[in-house]
Parts: sequence; C-alpha cells; structure tokens
Amino acid sequence: MDHIPDTAGTTEGGGFDPRQAAALLDQATTQARRTFTPLTPLLWIFRALVALVVFGGFWLSVRGQHPYAGRLSGWAIGVAVVLVVINIGWSAAVIMHAGDGVSGPAQRKWRAWLGVMAAAWIIAYVVTAPLYHATASHPVWGLYPGSAPLLIIGLAAAATAAAFRYWPMVGTTAAFAVVAATAGFGGPVGEWLITGIGLCAVCLGTAAFTAWRQNRSVVRP
Amino acid sequence: MTTELDPLIHVPTRLRIVATLAALPDGDALSFTRLQDMLALTPGNLIIQLRKLEDAGYISSTKTRNGSSQKTMLALTGQGRAALGAYTRALRDLLGGLDGDGRAVAADRS
Repeated sequence: MDHIPDTAGTTEGGGFDPRQAAALLDQATTQARRTFTPLTPLLWIFRALVALVVFGGFWLSVRGQHPYAGRLSGWAIGVAVVLVVINIGWSAAVIMHAGDGVSGPAQRKWRAWLGVMAAAWIIAYVVTAPLYHATASHPVWGLYPGSAPLLIIGLAAAATAAAFRYWPMVGTTAAFAVVAATAGFGGPVGEWLITGIGLCAVCLGTAAFTAWRQNRSVVRP
Repeated sequence: MTTELDPLIHVPTRLRIVATLAALPDGDALSFTRLQDMLALTPGNLIIQLRKLEDAGYISSTKTRNGSSQKTMLALTGQGRAALGAYTRALRDLLGGLDGDGRAVAADRS
C-alpha cells in the first residue's frame, strides 16, 4: 500500500491526493469494522469445524446401535464438551474485546440479545435431561436431542434478531432452524450427520458474508 | 455533482477518526482511550484533531466521572455522518474522473 503521509497539524491535507484519501478511508473503515465486529469470520470458521466434529462424532457413536438407544459414547461427549467450552471462551473474549470502550443504545441492545440467546440455549438443552430421566420413548428421545433444541434456538434467535433488526443474524439463525427441521427427517441416527453438515455449511456461509461486509470498499461500492 | 472535498475531513488523522467513529452504530460512542489505541496517536495530537471536529459539530463528546477517574466518550453526530457521506461521494466523483496515473480524464474520449 502507498505510504500515506500524516499531515495533521502541519499542512492540513496539502499533498493528500484523492486516491490516497480513498485508500486511507477504506483502510480505516475496514480496521474499525474488524475491531467492532463481535463475531469474527475466524470464529465462524471455528464454529463450522466444531459443528462438524461434534455432530459427526455423535453420528459415529450412535450409527451402530440396533435398536437405537440414543446413548452417545464417552469420547464423543468428551470432545463435544472440550470444543463447546473453547467456543464459549473464545466467543466471550472476542465479544468483550469488540465492546471494550463502546457504549450506547446499540451496545445495550446487543448485550440484551446475547442474554436472550444464552437463556434459549440453556432452556432448550436442559429439557433433554428430564426426557432421558423419564425414559421417553425411542422416537422422542431419538429425535429430540439432535433436532429440537436447535429448532427452538434457531427460531427464538431469528425472531429476537428480527426484533432488534440484526438482519444478517436473522439469516444465519433462520438457516439453523431450517437445518434442524430438515435433520429430523434423517431419523434418530442420520439427524446427527445432517445437523453437523448443515450447521457447518451455515457457519462457513456466515464467515464468508462477515468477511465480505468487513472488507467491502466504502469508496468503490 | 459534488467534487469539493471537505477540508475538515480531508486530513489523514481526522479522516481516520471520522471513519472509525462512523463504523459504530448510530448513537453509540467510543472511549477516548480506545480510539487512541486504535489509531496509535498521542493524546495531544488526538485532542487537537477532536477539538476541530467538535467545533464543526461533526463529533460530540461526553465526560463521565467514576470516582477519581474521568472517562470521555466520543460519538459521530448526524451532521458528522452526513459530512462523511458527502466527502465519500465527492471522492467517488473525483476518482471517477481520474485515470490510472491520476491524470484528469477527458470528458470526450473520441
């Protein structure tokens, strides 16, 4: 990139030609967008891998069960717990970094949305424990954990994101709900694989879209 | 067609300040220290540039006191956003009229 002289306080823009100004405007805007974006493309790529590994692992651990019992193997649960904890920690770190020093109505709205999402995740997955405890029938126990929580979370997230006018997030979370609804048709075993592949695709798409939004030119739309 | 670049924004440091604040959602503010970190400027230089932008009504600053520490929050005003929009359109117009070497392109190429 061309060297852009910092003429502030000296020549007040003298010798600062329009092409340099356009390059600087794009550079500063891109840098600011990257700094203020709470969910980065890299995080979405990691989430895509998490979805593929976690749900793919669940599929591998249940596909040989005849009849289907819904018992996930210990290694699959262990890998899932580790990856989910890393995902939560990384997400929290980037969200806090993006919001550091920022205040205002949009920031407060974003925090409220995150609170709603955390509650939706907890409620949707906590229900699986009483279902298991109550020895729910195979169709219920087989289909609920793989599809239903994601469907509930996806729809709740899409509705609240629409209320808050986070349009790209509406697209991503509605796609989660579509994946969950479609996965249900794969049966108790196949739903894990369909969910893994579907979520991976949605996360990769979101990563690509986020990167495009961050890097698009202000001057040359 | 607007091709005049706002001299208040057409200074590298002030352009970076305005572009950074414009990346925040409308109504949100950024702390002085975070802005200083992002732009890697000295406090003195940043204060001088901010004062010029504030005098023009492009940014607003709010000081809050928490115990012994004071925090300054900065936000782009509606007027500032409009000025940046006009500046960007003027840049587009100017760049559209320049060739690859930066020479003015003749209106009639025939």
